[in-house]
Amino acid sequence: MNNTQQDDREGRIKKKIFDRFEDETAQEIKNLKSRPDFSPELEYFVDLLAAGRDPATISERTGRPVVALMCLQAPLELFHVFGLQPFKIFGGAMVSQRLSAPQLPAIMCPMLRSALGELQLDLAGQKGQRFLAWVAPTTCDWVVKIQDMMEVCGIKEKPPFHRLELPHMKDRDESQERWLEEVYLLKNFLSQLTGQKKIKRQALANSMSLYQKSWHVFSKLIDLKRIGLVPELWFMVISNSFFFDDVEKWTTAVEKALLTFKTKNESPDIFLAGSPIFFPNLKMLHLLEEAGLNVSMDDLCSSERIFPGAVYFDDVSEHGLLKALAQRYHQGCLCPTFADNDRRINNIIAPAHKDLFKGVVFHVLKGCHPFDLESLTLESRLKDQGLKFIKLETDYTSEDSQTLLTRLEAYRSALTN
Amino acid sequence: MGYKIGLDLGSTAIKMVLVKNNEIAWSRKVPTAPGQEALALELVKGAVSECGLKESDIDQIAATGYGKKLMSAAGHTVDEISANAQGLHWLSEGRCRTIINIGGQDLKVINLNENGRIADFKMNDKCAAGTGRFFEQAARILDTPLESFGEMSKLADEPLELNSTCVVFAESEIVSLLAKGVPKERIIKGLHHSVARRITHLLGNRNTPKSGDIYLDGGPSQNPGLLEALEDELLMEVKVLPNPQFTVAFGATLSLN
Ligand code: SF4
Repeated sequence: MNNTQQDDREGRIKKKIFDRFEDETAQEIKNLKSRPDFSPELEYFVDLLAAGRDPATISERTGRPVVALMCLQAPLELFHVFGLQPFKIFGGAMVSQRLSAPQLPAIMCPMLRSALGELQLDLAGQKGQRFLAWVAPTTCDWVVKIQDMMEVCGIKEKPPFHRLELPHMKDRDESQERWLEEVYLLKNFLSQLTGQKKIKRQALANSMSLYQKSWHVFSKLIDLKRIGLVPELWFMVISNSFFFDDVEKWTTAVEKALLTFKTKNESPDIFLAGSPIFFPNLKMLHLLEEAGLNVSMDDLCSSERIFPGAVYFDDVSEHGLLKALAQRYHQGCLCPTFADNDRRINNIIAPAHKDLFKGVVFHVLKGCHPFDLESLTLESRLKDQGLKFIKLETDYTSEDSQTLLTRLEAYRSALTN
Repeated sequence: MGYKIGLDLGSTAIKMVLVKNNEIAWSRKVPTAPGQEALALELVKGAVSECGLKESDIDQIAATGYGKKLMSAAGHTVDEISANAQGLHWLSEGRCRTIINIGGQDLKVINLNENGRIADFKMNDKCAAGTGRFFEQAARILDTPLESFGEMSKLADEPLELNSTCVVFAESEIVSLLAKGVPKERIIKGLHHSVARRITHLLGNRNTPKSGDIYLDGGPSQNPGLLEALEDELLMEVKVLPNPQFTVAFGATLSLN
């Protein structure tokens, strides 16, 4: 096969996968819009997810250049104050893995495999605009190696790539000092990227209060979920769309959405823990609903953990503000890549004892080692205390839906015995 | 009057029991094939005519298994883990605390509390390693009927160390062992032990009962060679009830009460 024929073949494969990618997305959008609990207030979020996640679309919507972000530990307020829109990279489509899988290890994070496949589709190139830069906190091994994997997959994104070295011992003072240095390095990187030598202290404080307000409104949505009023599917759609628009507009939309949830779900409540879930692969949430289980709490980084919590500060100097941000994004993060992460486990065990839910469903993506490993500790701690736990390992495939459903149905019976 | 039907629509076989006063009056299984509902209705007809009943004698039908939702004639459905738990609890007269179920395509370990309720359960992932399908494949490659596996493995002194319970890898491993002239008896004994080890791993320390009995059920549990290997790996007694492939279908009828 000569080069032209090879290019032509690759082009046809990409076109085929792109068409299926669009079908997969359209199908989930259709599922969401045809639900009886769909309302005009939710249309905004569904439309954000439907409109696509290429930098041109997001930048046109927000009026800001878009920086790709690999994990949530980089303070979003810093991007905002530099006039940038951070966009968390994720892969939700099952079909896009088919492009990247031949170049990648057989067992790896399917979420990133899907993200890499999507980048290979080059939606950014098609729209003529690339991410301005890439920022990657060094969380799990897959994220640490993402730049190499992008290269291996022949991804055309070649903008500046900045890593934040994440100290994996949260409770050490030295780690917090290290992380503050990293936040300063991020500030310098963004400053060079935008050509803005300085940021105004007041501007940073304003960005911080915007995100504070957003967190406050989001917390109200969490409160409604706790009492069974917000189905996890909608909660995920809302939180998944967080990076797709300007924070103020998104917050206003969440405020309006608060009024739409009025029907209480009487199914047994569960805590959903583990690997993240991203649109359009909402398989697990559909199955939970089908099995008659209600998610009243979760700790997924694609859901309740999109915010690190409230940022408090007394010192209003620039250093004081940056320190407060650094501390919150490091200390508040419950990612299992941290070595000292007892708080995450306690955050699940404590509400279980208060009867806020009946059991834990732990979702593990095959190849997501941090969550897989942490599930062992959690399982043993929960079961030692007589609490119910089930781990469901899955991949980006719909083939295992039936066996997952069987387990969830049996788990429901065990919870309601 | 007073008859109930339990249908277990599994991945490799459809099992049916006709029950009166919680006693199995009739049972049969057929291989799963397209048109599961029609196959199941044929079984129902067979039971009715062979037992000299009228259709109106059947009060209720319960369905379980992967195909349960296809059975529109069933007034009630129940998941197969709960059905298995209820069935074994009743049939073992409350003695069972752990069930090891080997299905056509999955392995399950179910822990029960003293009331027969599910305390915990584990299932293998989506691959067919160590399941009924694995044994069927092995029988085909060894050109030996599955029913003789138990007898044949008794003839071997030492089991052969087999590395894989994966259907695909085991095939090439068995083929190369046969080519080297290794007796089939040793290979079969090795297969039983490798499946038994897989079950032991799934069981883990946490799911191994501190009290009460362990029961093996599902189609492959009728293989005495596997039972022996399992007891050997677990260093515990494992019990098998008569007709162990019908426990789940029977348990489905109990969920009608
Ligand atoms: S933590 Fe898990 S889901 Fe997240 S990027 Fe790493 S492997 Fe993937």
